[in-house]
This record gives sequence, structure tokens and C-alpha cells, in this order.
Amino acid sequence: MSDTYATDIVVNSSVPEYKVSLNKTRAIFTMRQRFWPNGEKIKVFTLADDHPLHQVFTKNNLHMFPHQLRRVWDRITFSGIGRVPIVVGSEEEMLEKVANTPNAIGYLSNEFENEKVRLFISQ
Amino acid sequence: MKKFDYLFRNKLLVLLFSGAMSTQAFADTWYDDIAVHGFATQDFFHTSDNNVYGESDDGISPGLTEIGLNLSYQPFDRLNLSVQGLYRRAGKVDGGIVRLDYGVADLTLLRFESGQLGIRGGRIKVPFGLYNETRDVAFTNPTIILPQGIYFDRSRSLLVSADGGSLYADYSTEYGDIGFKFNLGMPLGDNEEVLSTILGPSASGEFEAAPAFATQLSYELNGGEYVFAVSYMNLKLDYKPSANDFLGDGNTKIRPLLFSAQYNGEKFGLTAEYLYRWNYYSDYDVIPDFSFVSESWYVQGSYRFLPSLQGIVRYDAFSSDIDDRSGKRSQANGLPGHMAYAKDWMAGLRWDITSSWMVRAEYHRVHGTAWLAHSDNLDSSETKQDWNLYALQLSYRF
Repeated sequence: MSDTYATDIVVNSSVPEYKVSLNKTRAIFTMRQRFWPNGEKIKVFTLADDHPLHQVFTKNNLHMFPHQLRRVWDRITFSGIGRVPIVVGSEEEMLEKVANTPNAIGYLSNEFENEKVRLFISQ
Repeated sequence: MKKFDYLFRNKLLVLLFSGAMSTQAFADTWYDDIAVHGFATQDFFHTSDNNVYGESDDGISPGLTEIGLNLSYQPFDRLNLSVQGLYRRAGKVDGGIVRLDYGVADLTLLRFESGQLGIRGGRIKVPFGLYNETRDVAFTNPTIILPQGIYFDRSRSLLVSADGGSLYADYSTEYGDIGFKFNLGMPLGDNEEVLSTILGPSASGEFEAAPAFATQLSYELNGGEYVFAVSYMNLKLDYKPSANDFLGDGNTKIRPLLFSAQYNGEKFGLTAEYLYRWNYYSDYDVIPDFSFVSESWYVQGSYRFLPSLQGIVRYDAFSSDIDDRSGKRSQANGLPGHMAYAKDWMAGLRWDITSSWMVRAEYHRVHGTAWLAHSDNLDSSETKQDWNLYALQLSYRF
């Protein structure tokens, strides 16, 4: 599955352009980094743990495994210390959410066309 | 307390109801600001000797049920409110009531490009080791029964949550993520099991917890592939003697220091924790003042045969007094020596049927009775040193 398509991290066009390291990108998706450099709250969107695209994204873009993210998110969810990403039902919904939510971040497979969404540059 | 729990239950329903209403009534933005999660777990136990969570000896006890429901709401970017109600029924130790597990207002004070600093107030979960903050949520635990030398179930009321405040900081660097928490508050430790654990079954007074602090420093690499943490707590319990008590109005101080390390690979996982705990008994009059050190450690390995199927093996050891590992003091008091220690070999299998349903089973071979609950084993002279424990768990989450 992971050979058939690649994923890109995408953000709403309101997010300031800046280059982010792999570790900072992980910090965003593990909810340790909760604000953009301009002080706005980051809105994180994700697909379900068992969605093929989520598995590809976790491995290829974060160099992690879905169960590692789950460990971190569960700890937040059930100890009252913050918020976890909002789970969307499909890739179409992901595009729609990231396009229409200021300060949003998510991921999509290959090409998408939406002027309100752009690639997030992670090194 | 009962009244409060009842009130709380109704409040939770109202909160939930209004939460459901608002998600229907308002647009997506409202929906995104409110999150509701929950879990329900039922466990079954069988033991060859000694009782755990009810009458498990030579029978099957369905004695542990845990149901939780939480809601989190973000009125504005820097403020997060979250609340969790917990129903718990655990053998004869916990009779099955709904409690406020946590109720937290979390305010971000400072935002950096690499992290944040904030404060929390309310009823806050106690950070201790790798599992304490979510110890009642089966999905987040490695096994049905957590290593009992560290995550004591019978004295859990001292460890679950405390009413007070917390200062926290998160900082991400290229070389890993650092987290810090300092909590100050009143532990909810007022149950009889804590009393009989510390002073023995004949103490007839009551314990009153003094404000305590708990602090934790953690370091994670590669998004949690490697986790390291140090936790420390300072607890004090003041004893209020009953009318004709043989004990004076003394106090007990408990100071646990816990080191944690974990590796979370794609398939293989390895976890170890080491506990060193200072205990001080003062001013009980008939008992001379004394202090001793307890120690516990475990090593746990896990392997994912499939993404949804995981096997786990652990060895866990506990000594209530490192200068009396064989329990001579217990014997001098006419109690079994094996109350002073417990060594537990366990093996288990976990199957995540879906992302919401999980079932698992485990076997423990235990040498010693140090962590058995007194309420489930009223006559300690009848407890056995070597025993088997079988457990089955079914859990749901959303």
C-alpha cells in the first residue's frame, strides 16, 4: 500500500510560511506544539488510525508508527491535559476541512486543487 | 460524598446533553471546539489461591468494572476545559460509585515557537511513571493488571488525582521533546484500604491527607520512540485516632522516586521502571518512630505479531522493606512473612478487534502477597505465598 501513493502535509493558506524540521512537525501532530509562530492556535486534522492514508502519512512524513501517535493522543484524551486532532472520515473531508479552517494542518495524497490549501514544508 | 457523586452524575448528563444539542444546533466550528470521549471495561479474574477484585479464589470474579466519560471544550485558544466522570467497582475495595476523575481548567500562559508554558487548576490527574495518569483506561495500559509494586491498586486513592494546581511546560528541540509538570494539591486518599495498608487492619482511626506535591520531568525522542521520565511525590497522611485508640495522632510520610524508560518500536517494545520509596512513621506513641525504604522494579517486553495482535511478558518485583526482604518483621507480628514481598511473572495476549474494541487475557505466577488488598483477603494468615492469577478483559472506547 505504501508504494502506491505518497502523502503531503498541507496547511490552510492562513498559516505563515516557514520551514519546519521533522521533529517540529512531529511536535505539531503529537500536540506538544500547539501554536503557530504568529501565536495562532494550530488546528490538527487526521484520518482514523486504520485508514491506509494515515498509515502512509505516519511512516513517510513523520517517520513514526500509528501506535506511537495513538499512545500520545490517548494520554491527552483521558488525562484531561489538552486536545487531540479532529478525526475526519475521508480524504475529501480532510481537504474541505483544511481549506475552510484557518490555522489548520492535515495531510492529503498526491495532487489536490484548492487555492486555500498549500504544501507544508517540512525537512 | 454520596450526594456529591449523585449531583455530579446529573451534571454530567446535563453537560453531555447540552454538548449533543450544540453539535446539532451550531455549525462545524462549534463541533470542532467540543470533544467527547469515553470507555467501558469489564474484567474477569480467577486465582488458584488468594482473592483479587472480589472472590476469585477457586471461582471467577467479574469484580472490576470501569466506565468513563469525558468532555473537553475550548472556549478560546488559550483556555481548555475538560472533565471526566468515572464509575469504578473493584472487588470489596471500591463499591461502585461515580466520581469526578478530573475537572481541569488549562490556561496557556506563554507561547513559544518551540513550546508552551501553562497552568492547570481543579481536580488534576497525578503524573507518576508511564501509566498513572490514565491508569483506569484499559486501552492505554500494557496489561490488565499494572505492575502492582509501583501502581498499587489498593492505595490508588492517593495516586489517581488531587485537587489543586499545576504548572507545566513543553519544549521541543531537534534532540527531543522535554516535558515538565509540578502539581500541588490535596490527594483524595481517605479510604480504609490505605489505612490498613499503612497501619494494619487493627487501626481504628482515620487518615487525613495533607497537601502533597507530585512532579515529573520527561524526555521523548523521535515522537515517543524512546521515552524517559523521572517522577517524585511527597505525600503526608495525618492520623486521627478514634476514641479509645491504641495509636496516637501520628503521621506517615511517603516519598516515592520513580525512574522510567521505554522503547516503542514498530513491532518490538521494551519498558522498565524502578521505584525507590522512603516511608516515615512518626508520633504514633505506642509504635516507636521508624523509617524504611520500599523498592520495586519491572522489565516488560512486547511484540506485535500483527498490528492488532500483541504479546507481552513481564517480571515485576516488590519489597516493602529493603532491609527486611524476607518479612521477618511481619512474622514477629504474627503475620505471614510473604506479606513483605511479591514477585510476579506474567504473560499476556492483546487483540485490538477494531480501533474501538479490545480483548485480552493474561496469566500471572506470583510469589508473595505484598500487594493483595486487605478488603478482599480479611484473614492474612490464610493467604498463600505462591499462587496463579488468570485475567480476561473486554474493553470499548470512543
